This record gives sequence, C-alpha cells and structure tokens, in this order.
Amino acid sequence: MRVLERLESRRRHWQELEQLCVRLEGGSRKVPAAHVSRFAGLYRSACADLALADAYQLPPATIQYLHQLVGRAHNQLYRYESSRASGWYREVFVDVPQRLFADGCLRLAFAIFWGVFLLCLFLAWRDADFAAQVVGKESLMSLEQQFSFSYRPQADMQAGMAGFYIWHNPTIGLRCFAFGMLAGIGGLYETVFNASALGAEFGFMIHSPNADNFYHFVTAHGPFELTAIVLLAAAGMRLGFSLIDTHGYSRADSVYRAAQRSVPVMAVGVVLFLLAAGIEAFVSPSSAPYSVKAGVAIVSIVMMLFYIIVLGYPGRREQRK
Amino acid sequence: MDAARKQIDTSVEIVTPENISFRYWLAGPSRRLPAYLIDVLIQVMVVVSAGQVLGSVLGSVGLWGSFSGLFLVILFLVHWFYGAILEAVWNGQTPGKRAMHIRVVTVQGQPIRAWQAVLRNVLRAVDCMPLAPVALGMPEHILPLFMVGFVATSLNDRFQRLGDLAAGTMVVVEETSRMAGVLKFRDERVNEIAESIPPSFQVNRTLGLALSLYVQRRKALSRARRLEIARHLGEALCQRFNLPPTTDHDLLLCGLYQKAFLGSPSAETAGVG
Repeated sequence: MRVLERLESRRRHWQELEQLCVRLEGGSRKVPAAHVSRFAGLYRSACADLALADAYQLPPATIQYLHQLVGRAHNQLYRYESSRASGWYREVFVDVPQRLFADGCLRLAFAIFWGVFLLCLFLAWRDADFAAQVVGKESLMSLEQQFSFSYRPQADMQAGMAGFYIWHNPTIGLRCFAFGMLAGIGGLYETVFNASALGAEFGFMIHSPNADNFYHFVTAHGPFELTAIVLLAAAGMRLGFSLIDTHGYSRADSVYRAAQRSVPVMAVGVVLFLLAAGIEAFVSPSSAPYSVKAGVAIVSIVMMLFYIIVLGYPGRREQRK
Repeated sequence: MDAARKQIDTSVEIVTPENISFRYWLAGPSRRLPAYLIDVLIQVMVVVSAGQVLGSVLGSVGLWGSFSGLFLVILFLVHWFYGAILEAVWNGQTPGKRAMHIRVVTVQGQPIRAWQAVLRNVLRAVDCMPLAPVALGMPEHILPLFMVGFVATSLNDRFQRLGDLAAGTMVVVEETSRMAGVLKFRDERVNEIAESIPPSFQVNRTLGLALSLYVQRRKALSRARRLEIARHLGEALCQRFNLPPTTDHDLLLCGLYQKAFLGSPSAETAGVG
C-alpha cells in the first residue's frame, strides 16, 4: 500500500477525531453518547496509527500532527470528572479535621504564634518602649487615635469595611502560606512578624486610656482571625518543610505529597478569614454589650475546637465504615 | 515522576494507558510571559469595569460604603482566584494561555484537578518575587519581577516554577497544526525523472524519511542550496540508476519521493506544488 493511499484512508478518521475534540473542548457537557463512544474508538485508532507511523513511512509532518492530535484527544478522554458533593462532604468534615488534629506543623505554628504573641504582650506591658521598638511610634499613635473614641459606623460603612477585611486579611494569610514554600523560612518569618506586632500592640493598649474601646473591638473576631493566620502559616510550613525532610521521597515528590494535604487546610484558613471579616465589620463595631461580643468569641472558639478535636479525633474513619 | 524518564530536549514523552507514547512540547518563558500579560490585562479590565458599573449603580443611590466593600471583594476574588477558577473550569487554560496555545497538565500528562489549579495560582505570590516599585521613588512595590519563578524554571528540566513543582503540573504547548499529508508536484520534469527510475528500486525506511524531510523543507531553500544538499544523495543515485551526470539532483529526489509516496507518477499531478 502506498503512503498516499494509506494517508487518504486514515485522513477522514483523524479529521473526525479533531472535530470531536473541538466539540468536547467547547465545554458543552451534553455530547451525545454515540459521539463519546465514537470518540474513544477514533482515539484508539489514532493511537495505533501513531504507533505504526514509522513502519507506515508517514512523513514527519504527519507524525507531528498525529502527536498533537493524540495528545489533544488524550487530554479530553482522561479528563477528571468534577468532584461530587459527597466527596466534598467527606473531605471537609472527616479528612481535613483528622489531618489538622495530627498535623505537627499546625502545633508548631500554633506554639510559635501564641508563644511570640504572649511574650511580646508581656514585654510591652512591662516596658512601654518595647511596643514602639517593635511596631514603630507612628503606628502606635494611629492605633491610639483609632480607638480614642468608640467607633459606631453606619450600615453602609460596615459593608465597606467588610469588603476591606475580605481583601486585606486573607491576602496577608495567603502570602504567608505562599512564602512557606521557601523552605518554611518565609512562613516562619511572616508568622513571627505578625505575632510580635500583634502582641506588642495588645500589650501597649493595656496601659492606654482607650483600652476599653480596643478590647471591645478585637474580642469578637479575634479567635477566627488569629486561628486563620495560624492555619495558613502551618499549611505553608508543611510545604516548606517537606522540601527539607522528604521521608525518603525525591524532593519534587515530597512537595507534591505535602501540597495535596495542605490545600484543604489552606481553604479552611481562608474560610475562617472570611467569617472573621464578617464579624469584624458587623459585630465588633456594633453597640452590642461586651457580653454579646465575648459570647461570639466563645462560640467561635467552641466551634473550632469541635472541628479540630471532636471531628478530628483519630479513629473516626474506621467507625464510619 | 519516574526516575527513569528519558528527556533529551524540551519535549516530554507521555505513555498513555493504550501503551502509546506521544510527545508534549514544554512551554518556556517566551510563551508564558505573554500569556501572563494578557491575563493581567484582562484582570485589570474586569476590575476596572466592575468598578465603573458598581460606581454608577451604587454611587447614584449614595451607597459609597457598599461600593468600596463590593469593589474590594471583587478585587480579592480576581486577584487570587482568576487563574485558579479558569484553569479548573477550562481544563488548564486561561484566556491568555488559550491565546498563546499553552495548557497546564500534570507531570503525567493528564488534565489537572481543581486543587492543583488553586495551588499553583496561590503560589504565584512567591514565584513573582521580588516586587519592584513601578517607577523609581514610588513607595508601593507592586511590579512583579518573577525572579524566583525564573530561577526555579531554569533549575528543572520541565520549566516548572515553584507553584508547578508543588502542584505537580507543567505547562505544555498545544499547537494545533493542520494536517500535513504527502506533497505533490506540478512540475512535469519530476514525472519524467520518476519514470526513468527503475521500477525494481525499493525505497527503504531511512531513505523514505530522508526524502520526505528534504521535500518538506526544500520550498524554503534557494536553488543553489537545494542542489548543494541534494548532490550527496543525487550523485549516488545517478550512478545506481545509470542516469546522465547532468541530471538535476533536486528533481531526481522529488521524482523518487513521488514514486515512493504517491505511487505511479501519472496518477495525479494537480495539488500543492
């Protein structure tokens, strides 16, 4: 059989496969079943043609075309199905809490954040100059001024503040996560930086005449927001430390394994930031009595403890089966 | 991620479950940078036009607070999740990537999953380091220089930046070339020469490959260059076929190609020249 005849006999099939690829790539999910099975058959025959291309003496340009065609069809045929709702439920309420409970990086990030935070709080309480050395005099002045009066915004302004918190806080957290990739050092730096600045400010405000306004404001959203930053830092550290301690895998494989586990943790952190933003905009500045705000804080702490300890306690997986 | 993978240039060999291996060509910075710039342009346009619409709607009723809030939420979503959502929905492509004909696939050559799209886009925050001021003396450092990503891509053989390494993805070229078949000749002299080749002569595989490579590329070569290249094979063939030494070697190779690939020379002469 001459090459030309063979090409002519196959050309029709390849072009049909190409057209089906275009249809499938178009994103229309409703491709008739007949087309799908036809697609699979055409794909396999194109694979066979590529395997025999050398023996068939196909011209190099045609072989390159076949490589591209097979790659394109392969990409459609082995496309992942979007996850089902039950899979999401299991991931969110079973797998992630268990992972958090057992996560050494989370404990480390928690210890570092709260250790540095409390240390700086203590030092700033003892010595008034300490806070100024950590965060600078200007930001202390603006902090003092910000809480010099009890802030009661209008409803419209609250929506604006919610947007600001949604933009500003998760952005800090996600950067903290991403910098963890630099061998964990970037994440450690960001964690210590945030913890020391916040601790110094909290310690400084104890002596301030406006302490009441300040603590009124920060109580309600504090638990969610501070836990969120710890979660994102921990997820980033997991990525970074996996570069160093590879558990016997190659470095690339080790990072890949860690990444798969850290992405849901990152997502939980972002969700906590969003919850905190809502509370910070609508509850924290409201005129509700302090007991309400403290109640919000306690409820949020209980919710998080439930999520990590009750849902995450090892052994639940076996019970469910 | 197998250790025994063979890679000699910027193409990656993928073995499918059908036990066929095909090649992906990796996309380097010269394709990925324009794709990124197109995406940045689209992001800016989305944010600005959303700001215009929101401003005219909410501003007219005096809700400036809600305007700034919604605007910042849109900024947050576009900044962090533009690439993630589009790559998850469009099977590894964003508008910029589509325009530059590149696609994100896993290192095994399979389509990416949503978490991989999210991760590689979030980690762009570290790949784009360091940030520079837009102009000298400006306080805001917002211009990404992508040095971290650039160094990371040059240190591994799949051009993966840190986000790609963590997500186990790579960016490949997805050129959709038109199907190229056998070339045909309009020149009558090619037919004459093809007739004069002994019918018993069989073109083997290596010779067939050499002929088709030559014929594919000869259009881009000058006449003198064609003769120079064709001489090496042409002289040997002339001796073998007992053709006069004045035979045009270029036409001889075309005639042999025609005989080997198209069958009998008188069958068809129309088509691409």
